[in-house]
Amino acid sequence: MIILAGALGYPLLYSFWLSFHDWSMLTFRQGVNFIGLANYARLFAEPNFWRSLGVTFTFMTGAFVVEFVLGMLLALLLNQELKLRGLFRATIFLPMMAANVVIGLVWRMLFNYDAGLINYLLGTIGIKPVEWLSNTDIAIWSLVLVDAWNTTSFVVLILLAGLQAIPDEPMEAAMIDGASRWQRFTRIVLPLLRPAILVALVWRMIDTFRIFDVVFTLTGGGPANATEVISIFAYRAGFGKFELGYASAISYTMIGIMLVIAGVLFRRINRMEQLY
Amino acid sequence: MRRGERGLYYVVLSLTVLGSLFPLLWLLLTSIKPKALTFAIPPAWVFTPTLENYRQVFVGGPFPKYFANSLLVSLCTVVIALLAGTLAAYAFARFRFRGSRVLQVLLLIPQIIPPITIIIPLFAIFRSVNLNDSPLSLIISYQTFTIPLVIWMMAGFIRDIPIELEESAMIDGASRWQALWRVVLPLVMPGLAATAVLCLVYCWNEFLYALILTGRDSRTVPVGISSFITNRDILWGRIAAAGTVVLLPVMLFALAAQRHMVRGLSKGAIKG
Repeated sequence: MIILAGALGYPLLYSFWLSFHDWSMLTFRQGVNFIGLANYARLFAEPNFWRSLGVTFTFMTGAFVVEFVLGMLLALLLNQELKLRGLFRATIFLPMMAANVVIGLVWRMLFNYDAGLINYLLGTIGIKPVEWLSNTDIAIWSLVLVDAWNTTSFVVLILLAGLQAIPDEPMEAAMIDGASRWQRFTRIVLPLLRPAILVALVWRMIDTFRIFDVVFTLTGGGPANATEVISIFAYRAGFGKFELGYASAISYTMIGIMLVIAGVLFRRINRMEQLY
Repeated sequence: MRRGERGLYYVVLSLTVLGSLFPLLWLLLTSIKPKALTFAIPPAWVFTPTLENYRQVFVGGPFPKYFANSLLVSLCTVVIALLAGTLAAYAFARFRFRGSRVLQVLLLIPQIIPPITIIIPLFAIFRSVNLNDSPLSLIISYQTFTIPLVIWMMAGFIRDIPIELEESAMIDGASRWQALWRVVLPLVMPGLAATAVLCLVYCWNEFLYALILTGRDSRTVPVGISSFITNRDILWGRIAAAGTVVLLPVMLFALAAQRHMVRGLSKGAIKG
C-alpha cells in the first residue's frame, strides 16, 4: 500500500499538480489569444525589466555579503563553549520566524525619517538623520539591512552545522605546528567549510531572488522604483495592470534565471560531495 | 580561552540578541502606547499602557474573522501536508524505486521558483472553478510549499531510525502499515512535531498567496494587517496590536520547538 502511495500515487499527484500549471500557462498564452513570443520580445525591450533585474541582483549580492560576514562571525562565536549558548541561539533565530509583513512594517516605523527611532538614536550621538526609505540610493541598502536582520540566523545555522562537522585533528596539528589563529581560520576552517558555505549561498540566493513581502510592506518598490525587485515588477504587471499573459512571460523568465543559477550551484555542491 | 576574550564574546552575543529582539519588543511597546505617543520624539519609554489599540482591532471590525480564517487555513493545510508528506517521506527514506532520486530532486523545484510565478496560474485556475475568495483555494495552494518541506524534513528524520526495528516488527508479523504506525511514527514524533510547527508558521505568516487569492470573506491576518496602510495614513497603533498578536504564538512555538526545528532544517538544507 505504502509503496503504491509513495511510488505511484504521490508522483502522479505531483505531476498532476505540475501539469495544472502548464495547462493554465498554455491557455493564457495560446488559448486566450496566441501572440507567440510577443510578450517576451516586449519584456526584453522594456528598460524597467532590466532595471528591476539590476535592483534584484544588487540586493542579492549586498544581502549575501552582509549576512555571510555576520553569519560567519556569529557561527564561530556560537561554536565556542559558552554558558547560555542555547539561549543565545534560540533568541537570534526568532526574527527568522516572524511574519514578513510585520517585519516590513516594524522597520518602516523604525526607519521613519522624522519620528523613527533609528534617526532619533543617531541624533543623540550627533549623526544627522538619514533618509532610509525615501532616498533612491539608500533605500536598497535599508532593504539589505532588514534582510540581514531577518535571515542572518539562517546562514548561522548552516555554517554552525558545518563547523560542528569539522574534526579536531587538523586543528590540533596546525596548532602544534604553530599556525596563528588567522592562519588556522583561512587555511583549515574555510576550505573545510566550503560545502556549507555553498549550501548557504544557494538558499540565500534563491530566497533573496524571490523576495516580495518585506519589500512590499517596507517600500512598496519605491522610492521612484528604486527597490522594485523582480517579484514586485511581476506582481505589478500581473495584478496591478492585470496583464496575466505578460506576467507569465516574466515568471517564466524568472524561473529560467533561477534554474540556471541553482543548477550551476547544485552541480558544484555535487562535485564537491564526490571529492569527500 | 582567556578571560577578557570570553567577556568580549559575551558582549558581542548580547548585542546581537538585543538587536534581534529589539524591533519585536518595540512592536509590543507601540501596541500598548496611547495613540498620541506612537511617534513622540524623544520616544516615550514610560507611559500608562492602554489596550485601546487591541480593542480597535478586535472589537467590531473584521479582524476576528481574519484570525479564524488564518487558523482554519493553517491547520487544514498542515494536517493534509503532514499526511501526504510523511507517507511520501517514508517511501523516499525506505525504498529505492525507479526515479526516486530524480523525484526527490524535482521536489526542490517548488522551493526554488519564486511564488509569484506559481500564483498567476493558480489565480487563473481558481477563478475558472469559482474558488476565488475561498479558504479552500489557500489550503490547496499552500500544499505547493508545505508538502515538499514535509517530505524533505521527514525523510531525514525517518532515515535516522534504524531499519532493523521495522524489520523485526515485520518478522513478528506486523504489516508494513503497522510497522509504520506503531514503530516508526512514535519514534519520529519529535521530528514530526517540529515539522508541523514549521509548516504552521509558514502558513500563518504567508502573505503573497493570500494577498492575491483572498477577497473580503477569506482574508487572512497578514493581508488584514497590510490593509491598515490606507491611502490617507498608516494606522500604526492597530498594526502594532495586530502584529503582536500574529507574532506571539509563533515566537512561543518557535522557542519550544527550536532545537528540533533547527536540526530538521539544517539536515534538509545540507542534504539538498
